Amino acid sequence: MTLLRLILEELKAIVADKAIAVTLFGGVLFYALLYPLPYLNQVPTEQALVVVDLDNTSLSRELIRHADASPKIRVARAAGSVAEAQHYIASGDFHGLLVIPAGFKRDLLLGKGATLSYGGDASYFLVYSALVEGLVTAGMDAARSVQLLGMLSRGESFAGASLSLLPMHLNAVPAYNPGLGYTPYVVPGLFLLILHQTLLIGTGILGAGQWRKAGYWQQVSSLELLIGRIAAFGLIYAALGAFYMGWCYHWYGVSVQAGLGDIAAFIVPFYLATAAAGVAASCLFRRRDMPTQVMLLASMPILFVSGFVWPLSLIPEPLVMAAQTIPAVPAIFGMLKLNQLGTGFDGVFSEWLTLWLLALVYLALAWWGLVVRQREVNQLSPPKQG
Amino acid sequence: MKTLLRRELGALWQNPWQLALVSYLPILAMLALWWLFSAALPRQLPVAMVDLDNSSLSRELGRHIAASPVISPISFASLPQAEDAMNRAEVYALVVVPHGFSRDLKTGAQPTVDVRYNGQFLLVGKLLAANLQQAIADAMKPLAYSKQLAHGANPHQAHINIAPIATQTTALFNRNNNYVGFLVPPVLIALWQLTAMLVFANALNRELEPSARCDSVGLLPRLGAKLLCYMPLLMLQGLFIHALLFGYLKLPVAASPLWLIPAMLALLLAVFLIVAVIFLLMQESARVVSFCTALFAPAFAFMGVTFPVQDMPAAAQYWRLLMPSSHYIDSHIALVSYGVSGMELLGKSFTFMPFLLLLLPIALLARKGLKEAQS
Repeated sequence: MTLLRLILEELKAIVADKAIAVTLFGGVLFYALLYPLPYLNQVPTEQALVVVDLDNTSLSRELIRHADASPKIRVARAAGSVAEAQHYIASGDFHGLLVIPAGFKRDLLLGKGATLSYGGDASYFLVYSALVEGLVTAGMDAARSVQLLGMLSRGESFAGASLSLLPMHLNAVPAYNPGLGYTPYVVPGLFLLILHQTLLIGTGILGAGQWRKAGYWQQVSSLELLIGRIAAFGLIYAALGAFYMGWCYHWYGVSVQAGLGDIAAFIVPFYLATAAAGVAASCLFRRRDMPTQVMLLASMPILFVSGFVWPLSLIPEPLVMAAQTIPAVPAIFGMLKLNQLGTGFDGVFSEWLTLWLLALVYLALAWWGLVVRQREVNQLSPPKQG
Repeated sequence: MKTLLRRELGALWQNPWQLALVSYLPILAMLALWWLFSAALPRQLPVAMVDLDNSSLSRELGRHIAASPVISPISFASLPQAEDAMNRAEVYALVVVPHGFSRDLKTGAQPTVDVRYNGQFLLVGKLLAANLQQAIADAMKPLAYSKQLAHGANPHQAHINIAPIATQTTALFNRNNNYVGFLVPPVLIALWQLTAMLVFANALNRELEPSARCDSVGLLPRLGAKLLCYMPLLMLQGLFIHALLFGYLKLPVAASPLWLIPAMLALLLAVFLIVAVIFLLMQESARVVSFCTALFAPAFAFMGVTFPVQDMPAAAQYWRLLMPSSHYIDSHIALVSYGVSGMELLGKSFTFMPFLLLLLPIALLARKGLKEAQS
């Protein structure tokens, strides 16, 4: 059998197997839509706030208007007391609290200073940070106008007063993902993980289904089978990868910094290592429903250990070391640097080498596994000559 | 029923994978996930400092930044080097103190300090941005204070002039912004739901094996036996999660976690009903597992813990309702954070009710029975 013929046989087997088709084509397309779906609106806005205004003066109402004007906050309800406000928050419909103390305006005008209390529901971190950001800005605006009034009344010039309040500019801007959107944050890592897991599952199911039956996989040497299988999956994943990293990144507004050449150079060892790992793992299974189960349980730990959700420096060292044996982990971090942060190829050289090393190890394991499994099948039914 | 249950337990004993799934495997995965997040509070995150001024004032600023527990400043001699470290994700943020910073401050020329933080690492970036701004604002306070004194304000008045409105920010629940308290419960629940899905799928798929055929008993009693057999085992895993979170890690909880048991049972039942419908429709083991996986794998994203539910598009909010874990996590947070009473919690469990509608297709499909055995 020629290599081309083998690759065609492999492709036919992949497409004809409904379980593989569900995973490879159905799954990859379905996940491309479903996973980012919750985050399409990008940033949390208009968090519902309960206000306890114990002052009820023009200034306290102005402060509330300032808060309401913030895109992050919606003043949803007024409460008469802190206890009442807490009751509303416990209902789960409101996530923040602003308490304006009695005598707020009077104390400020007398130059005594006043204290505002903010509360946010820290059960939800994104909600909490949106609320606190919005409230702090509103509070600062109010403070500044009070300060300015006070200074002007003491006879300072407008320019002098603003200068002594703000001795310097602080220019704090996000580098990369400038809109601080949630989709560009989650999608790059997640999509690589989906490609990784589905490739492992696809190769796994194909292998696990073949080890007890006779077929074209007996008529070639282990090495040929390995090359043919990786080539077939490589062709499919070249297309799926282009769909994810081209069309989907564009669609979801993920920044793309690296050129096609760099991406291709980086993705080749990733695919090679993953496909080889999949073939190696497939030799461990006899049941077709097993690869999906194992890979599914591993998904969440792999996602969290890959370093973009939770900083690598906070993950226990042994876990980080162990995770380097999973192709997705160096691949996600490397691709993030290459494509989202725009570091050059030399910035991801160590990840690239890791992936090549993994590819070599898994190729050897896969070849060995295939030798063992082919021998088993041959004992059951000797290969036909053809 | 007794014989059916015995049949299930016998099958479980024969199957090492299923046995692992109902016992140690998910427990190990849960412990690994907790270990991963065990740092709980992000601290000592590397930040590049580029001090182009190198004056006593700029060093004072650097000391204020270094004092923050979240930030671990690393000095860089030049901006390009620091930018390079930022591009390589070796530092998560970058602070540039410009040339002539000290002189400009003294002459009132309002120098600009640049802070750039990595928005690609959203969680870390936002945290650092807030802490850096706080540290720099604190560093500027003594300066504004001495200016006030120079303008002739008395010390007390100078303090108030700088900050007439003091603020007090309280995290209402999860007081110290602990990531273990925030992220680990939903992660573990998502993992538990996946385990339950797999266990039920495997149990149902066994009916497809030729050796397991027993046509003397109807399909529905056999399904019932599987539910009865695996529900208590899975429940033990759920209780392990609670023991880990509230017993061992001592996460704050506003009411007794035992009130969550009805919601946990409802979650398991709902997962079983969904898996059973898919099983009866597909009737091929690998396809059942693949399809259920596609359905349940993204459940974590839809829980609404990492991203608020009310900011999700409508389609996501509807999809969310199909996931039993989303219903459960609402009860979980209501109990843990808000301390709602047991009766209210039971009321919340009624949101699981629509899942019972699945009994209808199950009854219809079960009557048609299983197709002839296939490998």
